[in-house]
Amino acid sequence: MLLDLRDMACQRGEGESGFRLEVPALSLRAGEAVAITGPSGCGKSTLLDVIGLVLQPTALGAFRFNGQDVGSLWAGRQRDRLAGSRASGIGYILQTGGLLPFITVRENLRLSRTLLNLRHDEAAERRLVEVLGIGRLLDKMPSALSIGERQRVAIGRALSHRPPLILADEPTASLDPAHSDAVMALMLALVADLGQTVVVVSHDWELVTRFGLRRIEAQVSAGPGGTVTRFAA
Amino acid sequence: MRRDSPTAPGAARATLRLAVSDFRHEWRVSACLVLALAAVLAPLLVLFGLKSGIVSTMRDRLITDPRNLEVVIAGSYALGPEWFAALEQRNDVGFLVPRTRSLAATVDLLEPGGKSLAAVEMVPTGAGDPLLRQVLPPAGPGEVLLSHSAARSLGVADGAIVTALIARTVQGERQVARQPLTVRGVLPEAVFGRDGAFVTLDLLVGAEDYRDGKAASLNGAPPTPDRAYSSARLFARDLDAVGPLADVLRGGGMEVRTRADDIETVKAIDRTLSFIFTVVAGIAVTGYLLSLAASLWANVDRKRRELALMRLVGFPTASVVAFPAIQALLIALIGVALSAAVAWGVAEAFNVTLSANLAQQEFVCRLLPGDLAVSAAVTIVLALIASSIGGYRAARFDPAESLRDI
Repeated sequence: MLLDLRDMACQRGEGESGFRLEVPALSLRAGEAVAITGPSGCGKSTLLDVIGLVLQPTALGAFRFNGQDVGSLWAGRQRDRLAGSRASGIGYILQTGGLLPFITVRENLRLSRTLLNLRHDEAAERRLVEVLGIGRLLDKMPSALSIGERQRVAIGRALSHRPPLILADEPTASLDPAHSDAVMALMLALVADLGQTVVVVSHDWELVTRFGLRRIEAQVSAGPGGTVTRFAA
Repeated sequence: MRRDSPTAPGAARATLRLAVSDFRHEWRVSACLVLALAAVLAPLLVLFGLKSGIVSTMRDRLITDPRNLEVVIAGSYALGPEWFAALEQRNDVGFLVPRTRSLAATVDLLEPGGKSLAAVEMVPTGAGDPLLRQVLPPAGPGEVLLSHSAARSLGVADGAIVTALIARTVQGERQVARQPLTVRGVLPEAVFGRDGAFVTLDLLVGAEDYRDGKAASLNGAPPTPDRAYSSARLFARDLDAVGPLADVLRGGGMEVRTRADDIETVKAIDRTLSFIFTVVAGIAVTGYLLSLAASLWANVDRKRRELALMRLVGFPTASVVAFPAIQALLIALIGVALSAAVAWGVAEAFNVTLSANLAQQEFVCRLLPGDLAVSAAVTIVLALIASSIGGYRAARFDPAESLRDI
């Protein structure tokens, strides 16, 4: 099991305007492709932030990721060890803005490898660049790229150090439908090729169905204690 | 674990490279920050330079100008050995030498080329004369130190030989005594503004005796110990001793003059200038520190998105704090260097344009290495503190929230 999360809850605010996210149990196997779906604002991104070791849950039964006890790292305020786990274990793809604007496309692609002090892998990088079709962009700055090109580079940046888990938060939401399908297909193919696990957050049911991902759906209920979202497999 | 976590050297190297890349990529902003720093620091350095230049020059002139130490005895008296002995006992006396009647103490000087200078004042001098400073006093009656104006009129310099002519009229017959004098030095204009020949007391006594008809030549017998003189050259040991010493002589019924008023004026100017400087520098330093801290702090806030992405990618807290700190260090170093260059240029310009009012070794504006070092150190430390606090704040912020805030 790559990731195992039990009895997790995130509480924001109190009373009727409050919001609570609950996950009784969530497991991710190596090589799996999973979609987190639900209406806008239901807490999909919040769940992704918890899985991505960025957000500390307010309640936590157990949380193991990549062989590490994340629960005790949070409890012990081991921020730098959490950052270390993020650096080597997770690749993020955001809706937009997943690139540093002040370094070239090539340097962005190598960012995580530089941080991890990994040896440069010319062949792997060339393959990634080829598949993503960003060969002619390598020496440009991100600001010189179109949104679609930036998103492809961002995918490359998240994958270049081959983390076991890829988290993608609405990765195609800023693209038009034609591009959106192409980019999603590209990402899933790359991930499958490298045997990585991928979690995609999307509000686009149709897209998720078409690519046949395992779905984790939001069940939203409103009560006196505010909105509660439960995610169940 | 499938793989190792980020290594410290990897993170440090990556952070350094990213900080420099961002600094260069945003060169307009970097230039603004550097220029803003230099715009405040450079005038401040010039101000420091003026303080160490003009103000110190004035104080040095005041303190080191030996003329301010002189207690000038006006009129003619009969000062015997007891009077001189009593004064020499006092520890506030810096230099004392007897003086002959002023009418007998003039000499005509003749230069071998034919130039001459009439009625040059002969001034008795000796070891310890404050006006001589580094110049050695004449070793005997055959040597002389000339004032700047006398040397210029005669067109002579060190080592030249001039002839002293002293005339007298004996029973209707005009007689002239000649004494060759070797020029042993020329005193700067600031020390003695008139024509003057600084000679030994022996020569003065000889001239007086010759003029009075008591001696057949200039090189008569040395002065007897009980000889009385009409006046004296008297210098106090330091500035504070001038007033009391003058009072003692006045108490003895003598008319004396000092530069007390000048001294008080310059002291007052010094106090006022120091006060004004302190106020202006205080305002400028405070403003400088506040503006530096504020602009660096704001710069970190502007970078929150990039810092959040770095955290998301897995950079440790130290990197997020160091990223803006490295940039602040670059800004501080370049800014200080630019300020020093500008201030140095301004100081040079001041010193060249206003050099007419200055003696050698004097400056209008003088940048001291110590001042530079202190301002550089304060700038760097403050820049590091301000940016690190900003970076630390960014590191505490939820990176996900900063990133979705796009």
